[in-house]
Amino acid sequence: MCDMLDEGGKESLVVAVCREASDKSPRAFWAFRRLGYLQVRQNKWSEAVQSLQHAIRGYPNCADLWEALGLAYQRLGMFTAAIKSYGRAIELEDSRVFALVESGNILLMLGSFRKGVEQFRLALDISPQSVSAHYGLASGLLGLSKECINLGAFRWGASLLEEASKLAKGSTCLAGNLSCIWKLHGDIQLTYAKCFPWMEEGQSLEIDEEAFKTSILSWKRTCCLAAISASRSYQRALHLAPCQANIYTDIAITSDLICTLKESYERDLNAWQLPEKMSLGGLLLEGDNSEFWVALGCLSGHNALKQHAFIRGLQLDVSLAVAWAYLGKLYRKEGEKQLARQAFDCSRSIDPSLALPWAGMSADTHAREPTQDEPFESCLRAVQILPLAEFQIGLAKLSMLSGHLSSSQVFGAIQQAVQRAPYYPESHNLNGLVCEARFDYGSAAAAYRLARCAISTLAGTVPKSCFRDISINLARSLSRAGNALDAVQECEDLEKEGLLDVEGLQIYAISLWQLGKNKLALSVARNLVIAVSTEERTSGAGAITFFCRLLYYISGQESAITNILKMPKELFQSSKVSFIVSAIHALDRSDQLESVVSSSRQFLASYEDITGMHLLIALTKLIKHGSGQCLNFQSGVDHLRKALHMYPNSNLLRNLLGYLLLSCKEWEDTHIATRCCIIDPSDCSSEEGLKLSCEILAAGAVACYATDNGNQKFSFPTCRDQCLNGPMAIPQLQKWLLREPWNHNARYLLILNFLQKAREERFPRHLCIVLERLLRVALSNQFYSKKDMSYQYQKFQLLLCASEISLQSGDTISSINYAKDASVLLLPNGYLFFAHLLLCRAYAVEHNFVNLQEEYLSCLELKTDYHIGWICLKLMESQYKLETESNILKLSSEEYLKEIRSSRNMWMAVFDLVQGLISLWNRNFLHAEESLAQACSLVGAESCLFLCHGAICMELARQQCSSQFLSLAIKSLTKVQETSLFPLPVVSALLAQAEGSLGFKAKWERNLRLEWFSWPPEMRPAELFFQMHLLARQSKVGSDSSSSSRVESWQSRQRWVLRAIHLNPSCLRYWNVLQKLMD
Amino acid sequence: MKLAGLKSIDNAHEESVWAVTWVPATDARPALLLTGSLDETVKLWRPDELVLEGKNTGHCLGVVSVAAHPSGVIAASASLDSFIRVFDVDTNATIATLEAPPSEVWQMQFNPKGTTLAVAGGGSASIKLWDTATWELIDTLSIPRPEGSKPSDKSGSKKFVLSVAWSPDGRRLACGSMDGTISVFDVTRAKFLHHLEGHFMPVRSLVYSPIDPRVLFSASDDSHVNMYDAEGKSLLAAMSGHASWVLSVDVSPDGAAIATGSSDRTVRLWDLSMRAAVQTMSNHTDQVWGVAFRPPGGTGIRAGRLASVSDDKSISLYDYAGR
Repeated sequence: MCDMLDEGGKESLVVAVCREASDKSPRAFWAFRRLGYLQVRQNKWSEAVQSLQHAIRGYPNCADLWEALGLAYQRLGMFTAAIKSYGRAIELEDSRVFALVESGNILLMLGSFRKGVEQFRLALDISPQSVSAHYGLASGLLGLSKECINLGAFRWGASLLEEASKLAKGSTCLAGNLSCIWKLHGDIQLTYAKCFPWMEEGQSLEIDEEAFKTSILSWKRTCCLAAISASRSYQRALHLAPCQANIYTDIAITSDLICTLKESYERDLNAWQLPEKMSLGGLLLEGDNSEFWVALGCLSGHNALKQHAFIRGLQLDVSLAVAWAYLGKLYRKEGEKQLARQAFDCSRSIDPSLALPWAGMSADTHAREPTQDEPFESCLRAVQILPLAEFQIGLAKLSMLSGHLSSSQVFGAIQQAVQRAPYYPESHNLNGLVCEARFDYGSAAAAYRLARCAISTLAGTVPKSCFRDISINLARSLSRAGNALDAVQECEDLEKEGLLDVEGLQIYAISLWQLGKNKLALSVARNLVIAVSTEERTSGAGAITFFCRLLYYISGQESAITNILKMPKELFQSSKVSFIVSAIHALDRSDQLESVVSSSRQFLASYEDITGMHLLIALTKLIKHGSGQCLNFQSGVDHLRKALHMYPNSNLLRNLLGYLLLSCKEWEDTHIATRCCIIDPSDCSSEEGLKLSCEILAAGAVACYATDNGNQKFSFPTCRDQCLNGPMAIPQLQKWLLREPWNHNARYLLILNFLQKAREERFPRHLCIVLERLLRVALSNQFYSKKDMSYQYQKFQLLLCASEISLQSGDTISSINYAKDASVLLLPNGYLFFAHLLLCRAYAVEHNFVNLQEEYLSCLELKTDYHIGWICLKLMESQYKLETESNILKLSSEEYLKEIRSSRNMWMAVFDLVQGLISLWNRNFLHAEESLAQACSLVGAESCLFLCHGAICMELARQQCSSQFLSLAIKSLTKVQETSLFPLPVVSALLAQAEGSLGFKAKWERNLRLEWFSWPPEMRPAELFFQMHLLARQSKVGSDSSSSSRVESWQSRQRWVLRAIHLNPSCLRYWNVLQKLMD
Repeated sequence: MKLAGLKSIDNAHEESVWAVTWVPATDARPALLLTGSLDETVKLWRPDELVLEGKNTGHCLGVVSVAAHPSGVIAASASLDSFIRVFDVDTNATIATLEAPPSEVWQMQFNPKGTTLAVAGGGSASIKLWDTATWELIDTLSIPRPEGSKPSDKSGSKKFVLSVAWSPDGRRLACGSMDGTISVFDVTRAKFLHHLEGHFMPVRSLVYSPIDPRVLFSASDDSHVNMYDAEGKSLLAAMSGHASWVLSVDVSPDGAAIATGSSDRTVRLWDLSMRAAVQTMSNHTDQVWGVAFRPPGGTGIRAGRLASVSDDKSISLYDYAGR
């Protein structure tokens, strides 16, 4: 029936029928559907929503219903609901062009261009002829590109716009007479003209002026063509829809842009200009549109008219932030600062997301207080809101004053400014300055060259000083980039024109010096000093220090000193100069500069300067109090200790102190060195030549024989001077390596520390593998091919490490190869000794006694002043019965012993220990006892020596059955117990045995118990368990009340024996005892 | 958008924690947190209570990087001595051990399809690509030397590659170097495209926006976080606020926010629409080496999660609420 009525055109009847049906039954979905469609047709949106919702309950899979519901929601302004409904329709039937297009439109309106564009693309795939999809896609791309442009991604924006423009053009073919398409095309072209970036072709250093000119011109032409095309499109649009007032304004804006691009500034003040006229056209149609008034104000050439237009706009809408902002700009131009500031303030408080007032405020505050950060911050805000070249250049200028030149924000801004204002020399110049501040001198020089090209294309309108500044900038960055030849060329050109100022002279001199033209450099530097001393005295410190340094480098210390003495004293009144003079003074043995130095030091004021000077003084003392080739470390250390007392938080002084302590030849203070440095992970700045706290820590840890004090699993160090921070070194070094993975020094120190750790743990396989890999990379570093002594030394150490690791993992051939490589490096004999020593060991392992003898002799020949080397050699000699003529070894080692003073006794004792050990190997116990007794008498508290002595005495006592040796042993061993830092194993057992032999039962018991506790649990030997069994038997015999708490009563005698057998099943004694016990 | 602290575990490792990533959820379990530390172990944690699920040992030096396969089944960890261990997440069975010269393995990332593992090649100035089926090296993308420099030039070490990132469509690879440049590669053609400039100190972390394959975020020692148009070669925004090195950056799954960790001991949340820091978390007491957003997926899990790890040996978990 409905269909029939519908056919008859009786719509209202259909509605009535449906209403009735739906009222009667809520399940009459067909009626709701029909009703819904009709209501949509009649634009009764809210009713339609209800009907459609109801209908959907009956037909949930009907795409038409969903689409209609979407439309209804859209018309009601419920956009998210509309998008969902459309989405459902598309889900049900993916060829719904209408739903796609409309949801795209909504998304565009909501500002999510990306999603909108996706929808339109889908729609176009389905129906490539759809005009609305074309239009939507083009406007979506326009919106997206505007988003990009606001971020500063001009290239991205431009590429999007190109696509959009193509689409819009295409849709004009589909539907020629739609004004809005032409308007869209105009908008796209206008935006394109405003964002098309200038691109530098090729990054070559030599920039051809002609090429630059043509590239600028072609860029301008592209922009201009786009603007013209925009203007044409707007005109078409206007032609089609003449009553659209806003198109007048659009044309006005476009023609203004064309004017600026063509630089046709010759304005006839009487005639109406095109932009003005067109914007008036818009106003004639819609006189009460405040924005048109603002546009007129912006485009007009007459200040009075401008002001009138802005004020008129504000009268219409007092909260129009843009009008306030432009009014402010106008006032500022006219010099009315007060009014300008008020206008900007007004605008900013209305709309803080407007860029112009921020920029205006920044210029304003800059004029008042130029050194503050505030103008920079506000200008940065302006740039972030709107990436306009003018703002960006302003930002770069402000950053130069506030010291933000190297910040990334400024870099990004100026890069974008160059893209949009390539014709303006200042943008290139500032780009150069920013690059220079970021140490990219090559790009800086290229930018300066571009700036000069830009000046020459602008011809005549730029003052000469600007040209000079840019040229000096260029010369400076060239010289910093290491291109001295070109820098000199630039300076010479400047000199010809008489434009060389103080800075220029300095660059000139240093470039000449780099080229090796010393005489010319010196004469230029003299001119510089003259220029400085006649001009201004206060700011000339830089020039003076420069002159002194140049003089020192070119003509040496003596001439520098005489020149300094000749110069007037007033020139030295600054901290900078004081450092230079002090440094030269440090190297001068005759103290000619004493008075100059002391007078100039009065001008040190800041904390950094003073601590720096203390550092220098300490180094001076090192040199001056030293003799010959030796530095006097002690005096340096003394000075630093005093200085550190005054400035306890100076890391600079601490690190140097640590370094000096480590450098002392006698290695007595290495454990202190690590303590005086503060490890601060955030302190990563390393100045050249100074040591980091990390390096001190690592070097200290390597220098101490036993680092892993906390871990008794591997060793029982008897050294009293413990390197407390030692175990920290490896994690610290890894942290350092993570921070600076390219740092070869960190890697080197990590390897050394790892080797130390591996040695302590008796070279376990996994550590050896890690070390091998680390070494392979470190050795392949080309860095070590340098001839410099310190690199060679590091390479030597690495090679020795590699050789040692190969030796320990049983690969003698590569071990020998590494050691051979090490032995041919250009290093002092004292170091090379150790390469040959290692070769001795490797050959010994190979049983190659001919080569062993040879290497042994070359060791003797090379000699070393490191005692440990002699000791090792001595051991080798005795172990492999190497032949020598007479007693060279003993003589030479004693010769070197004479040189040391404070630790002499220690070394003598060690030599005695070695003698004793050798005698021991020869089974000459009496002789060994003698040597060790002597060693013990030399050093009072070295538990290790006493332990050896005690043990040998015990053996002698056993052999000779004499109680005299027993008492000697007891004396020594008791001493060990007293002096060692923690109970050493074996000592108490020996002592117990000795005491037991003399019949002191209580002491025997006590010592055995001590012995139990002096072993780490997992290392206790079988014999110890057996001894505990004896002890348990003893206490059972005694069986007094307090025995239950003792160690031996922890378990039964049988258990003790069983555990001993478990550990060492091969010992028959244990089995025998067990059998007895079982019985 | 907002971060809210959920759980923090002090002494989660015995030493500094250096690396963190999320292992995506599988059918059997939710997403897990994977951390690597200087104590030479890799640990697995189950959110939100951060229950320790597993501990993997076997590295000889500190673990500098961890990466998880998009399927959530396997993961990789790399240590300072440049061994990469690829293992099954649930069983901890070693699947492969990849070896490179020390100093040549830093950040790692699986590509979105999971067919390739990209490794920032440190001193070799390249990205190494490993096939995840055969575990063989399939390609090396080298950063070209600047013109005019000799092969023996020391500047080679300036291109030390620290970080690497795949674009969400898997077509681009970006790597950050010590001198602050970022290099972009076309993966399918194995070709270097261009450098992105704007940092002048090492770039430690990179991440592409999940919603736009052109947009790349970078974290650098110059204390800035930069946002690039990686195709158009331009710097879109430089965000400042950290007081020291920015060590790590990650982008939220909705693409609306990024989180950074820094040497200044803070974690910051940045709103990308404002391009400014909106929140600063200062619960760590030492530098923060890693931040990671939980990827979407898994059954019934909607809430956003952010994890951060630090030199102070702790792990923190936050709730991230977008808009």
